[in-house]
Amino acid sequence: MEERVKVKIRELFFSYQGRSVLKGISADFEEHSITAIIGPSGVGKSTLLTTINRLWETIPGAVMRGRVEIKFNGSFQDIYRPSFSLPQLRRKVGMVFQVPNPLPMSIYKNVAFPLKLAGMKDKDKIRQNVEKALNQAYLWEEVKDRLNEDALSLSIGQQQRLCIARTLVLEPEILLLDEPTSSLDKKAATVIENLLSNIKSRYTIIIVSHYLDQVRRIADHVIELSDGRVSNHFN
Amino acid sequence: MNRLIEISTIAFCWLSAALLLGAIGIIFGYLFIKGFNTVSLMLIFGETPPIEAILFKRPVLEGLFPAILGTLALVVFSVSLAVPIGLSTGIYLAEYAPPRTKRIFNLFFDVLAGIPSIVIGLFGFSLALFLHKHYSKNIQPCLLISSLALAFLVLPYLIRTTQVTLENLPPSTRMTALALGATKLQNILFVLIPKSFSGIISGVILAIGRCAEDTAVIMLTGVVAMAGIPKSLLSKYEALPFYIYYISSQYKDTRELMTGYGASLILLFLCILLFSIAFFLKRQLTYLALYRA
Amino acid sequence: MMRPQEWIAEKVFFLSAIFSVTITLTIFGFMVILGFPLIQKGHALSLLSKPWIPENGFYGIYPMIIGSLAISSLGVAIAFPISLGCASMISVLGPRPLNLIMRKGVELMTGIPTVIYGFVGIFLLVPIVRELFKQGSGLCVLSASLMLALLVSPTMILFFSDSFSQVPQSYLTAIEALGGSKVQKLYHIILPYTRKGLLIGTLLAFGRGLGDTLIALMLAGNAITVPGSLLDSARTLTSHIALVIAADYESLEFKSIFLCGMVLYLFTTLVIVGVRFIGIREDRRKA
Repeated sequence: MEERVKVKIRELFFSYQGRSVLKGISADFEEHSITAIIGPSGVGKSTLLTTINRLWETIPGAVMRGRVEIKFNGSFQDIYRPSFSLPQLRRKVGMVFQVPNPLPMSIYKNVAFPLKLAGMKDKDKIRQNVEKALNQAYLWEEVKDRLNEDALSLSIGQQQRLCIARTLVLEPEILLLDEPTSSLDKKAATVIENLLSNIKSRYTIIIVSHYLDQVRRIADHVIELSDGRVSNHFN
Repeated sequence: MNRLIEISTIAFCWLSAALLLGAIGIIFGYLFIKGFNTVSLMLIFGETPPIEAILFKRPVLEGLFPAILGTLALVVFSVSLAVPIGLSTGIYLAEYAPPRTKRIFNLFFDVLAGIPSIVIGLFGFSLALFLHKHYSKNIQPCLLISSLALAFLVLPYLIRTTQVTLENLPPSTRMTALALGATKLQNILFVLIPKSFSGIISGVILAIGRCAEDTAVIMLTGVVAMAGIPKSLLSKYEALPFYIYYISSQYKDTRELMTGYGASLILLFLCILLFSIAFFLKRQLTYLALYRA
Repeated sequence: MMRPQEWIAEKVFFLSAIFSVTITLTIFGFMVILGFPLIQKGHALSLLSKPWIPENGFYGIYPMIIGSLAISSLGVAIAFPISLGCASMISVLGPRPLNLIMRKGVELMTGIPTVIYGFVGIFLLVPIVRELFKQGSGLCVLSASLMLALLVSPTMILFFSDSFSQVPQSYLTAIEALGGSKVQKLYHIILPYTRKGLLIGTLLAFGRGLGDTLIALMLAGNAITVPGSLLDSARTLTSHIALVIAADYESLEFKSIFLCGMVLYLFTTLVIVGVRFIGIREDRRKA
């Protein structure tokens, strides 16, 4: 299993405004598979996720100790090393949120935007990548004729797939999803579950979920958190 | 995004901050260096012993004491006039006014807030003229007229602060007393106003600061360079900001100019103190509101 | 016990409101009534566009209108980029402890009395301008505009900063998660979103600039001519009022100050109404 580990977390402690949330988490996440993180509300599942893309650092009052290493180009790198570039990290580790958060732009521009941020200028190349990402997110057929419409005019299920496409367009190596189907109805949720199962061979997917049947359906590995610690893992 | 654009944007922002803070630092520093030596009891009371001056036993001929008293009197009178009206108007807008009326009235008060202070001063002057002609020859630009004009100046601040504070009270606070059988007026007097207290007070303090620093209004409504302690509401008076303006163009020697620096320091300190208190109270209110909700 | 008290209280509150509105209108009314003789004698429109020639008995306030517009526009033009930069520092780019200190500093600055700016301007800025340009006395449009920029910047900065903080958090989180830098956040999301807020803040500052008396009075020179260059002396509508108030109040010269008052009232009301209009369109767009 060691050769197939993509993310290593060791002795992770996290506290927020003096209150201790994660109390010594150690876990491995296997590549090209889906690992689900489950546990009661408020136990720190989402927080754990944000330690992998360092997004927790935008919250004032949060403190973290421990190591998080990700295997890039065959070797493990400490992502908290001061010289590690945050924008680079977040292009390799994409995140999808519980409530879809498309930007106030057209559908096309939403997916093209990360490429623009990363400095891509070739318009044709951008177009290709956008189409590819929307296809991967099972959204292309539905929006190909209305790419210039406001992203907010999509249904909430489509918006979530748009957010997934937006993350995939950067060709990340890891995908973090924080309760991605909580805001959606069963039908929309199923589409996303199928999507994830189909793309897992190319990415390392870590998903927080509190729907146990969803976890049963799509997860290859499960990590259970309770009282700030890992209490179980299953395969 | 271009590396160049990133770097130049960050550089520009740092530069702006440095420029602004630098300019303000220069102003403070300059006043401090020039004026620090003059700030003393002698600056305020001149040759007269302080105790006797404060008890009005002997006049202060060469000190800022009359001007300081004048400013104090202005503040007290104008705020006393403005607070009841401003508060009542604010209560009306927040609690009783129908939406359309509220919008229209708010527009009027925004206009009132936007009127240049010199125009308000001109209005005060016209008022004095009017009363002089039609009412009593005794009325001329004086402490009373200035206080009235200043009251009109700060009225919009008080209205807005009261209105906004009341409107921002959480719905639960609003409904609690009513659910227990209180009338609208009882709710306002016993629950809503007390809860809005620190917000309203911060508005009052802002108004105080505004009255203390204003020069344009008082220039047209009764302030003079030499008048001693204001004897009555209908007399002319001195004020600190006017003294500073007057000295800047009419100083006869270095010593007099130095008193200008000293007066500037005193006024600066006073106004900053008042505004800091007002902001502090506003912060307290926000903190409480968020914590409570 | 209930009814009459309630009724009286409501009427009292209402009357206060009506009183306040009346005052607003009366101010304008007085300007018109007292300026009327002057308007009658020389037609209103020409008064606004002709120069000041007392010998002809002609009291056109055109030079003062230009003076006011020039100094306010220049002042706001200088203040805008600086305020935008500072607001960006405070809300977006600045490192955490520094931006809080900066904000506190700017808040404190809003309490500085105008007369202090004028006083320091005379003894510090004017000599510098005089030396630097070797022309004129230093009492000119440039000096007044620079100080005015300093006066209006703190309010502008706070206004811009508040506008920035109204951008929905979800957009900011999205761009963070996509690896966008702070500067990218500023250019792609924050500035486009707050465009209208920036416009409103600038307009309000301009209105404030028009209404300022002391800085223009102490620093701009007060010559009654249309300023031809930045280094020329000029007089604004506001400083004109302050200067002429000491004249004989039966004279026509004196009446000109009411005309100035009228123009100022109308200008600032226009700014307020304009800001309202922009604000309403903005709310409708968001809804």
